[in-house]
Amino acid sequence: MDTSELTPKESFAIINKAISNFKSNYQESAKIFLLWGWVLTLACFSQFATIKILQNTGQYELIGPISIGNWVLFFAVGLIIQFFVIRRINHEKKVGSYLEDYLKSLWLVCVTSIIVAIIISFLLDISFPPIIMLIVGIGTTTTGLLIRFRPLVIGGVSFFAFSIASAFVSNEYVNLLIGAAIVIGHLIPAYLLRSAKN
Amino acid sequence: MYKDLDPLLHSQLRLAIISMLVVSKKVEFGYIKEQTNAAAGNISIQIKKLQEAGYIDVEKTFKNNYPKTILSITNKGVAAFESYVDDLKKYINP
Repeated sequence: MDTSELTPKESFAIINKAISNFKSNYQESAKIFLLWGWVLTLACFSQFATIKILQNTGQYELIGPISIGNWVLFFAVGLIIQFFVIRRINHEKKVGSYLEDYLKSLWLVCVTSIIVAIIISFLLDISFPPIIMLIVGIGTTTTGLLIRFRPLVIGGVSFFAFSIASAFVSNEYVNLLIGAAIVIGHLIPAYLLRSAKN
Repeated sequence: MYKDLDPLLHSQLRLAIISMLVVSKKVEFGYIKEQTNAAAGNISIQIKKLQEAGYIDVEKTFKNNYPKTILSITNKGVAAFESYVDDLKKYINP
């Protein structure tokens, strides 16, 4: 770049270039969505398979503890992998954005809400998947709107539809429904986001 | 020619640097070099001018034993950028 005098149009071109080049960094979000998309999808299908096996073998008393263990195991694995993924992202990252801070705060609130929703559901003995999918839908749709990526907005909105649908599905099949919601709402948009150029 | 424009920002490289910082919380020196294709020495000079004007903060640190320079914009820098863009608009749409 030289230091010759600029015209106003050239100045705007420089500003536009700096801002538009910066947008492509939001693809880092795709890595986190892919991670949790896969972890939660596998957790749902594993949960469904476990319940079916225990029902077929008549070990109904084990369904509760094993279900909790299944979710704790997958969440723990997800958190460990996330730790290394974020460490790698931070290592390679040359730019820190304001939007990353907003997204971190948003998902921190969402995860806290999910934990509170699960506790309340146990206390009131009500089904928690519809509430969880509603919260995940809020987080996903807002993320999509903030990074201006339409497939993620559509994915987020699909969680709202799955949330209503889950109220009409039996407990054992609700895991398959959540799995489908995560594939449509998280995984597909995450792959599209990863392959998006801008 | 463009008298009303902030001379500190009305320079190709300094404007590129400040534009990157307006949309980012923190930017590494290496990112600026990648995006502008400017020489490291030239970038350092422009950074110093922006820093002396109070438009940016410069943080020197280490990453894997290599020195790392991290830049961020100050409130004064944001105000100067906004004012610069307003002035530019007057030239485009007088």
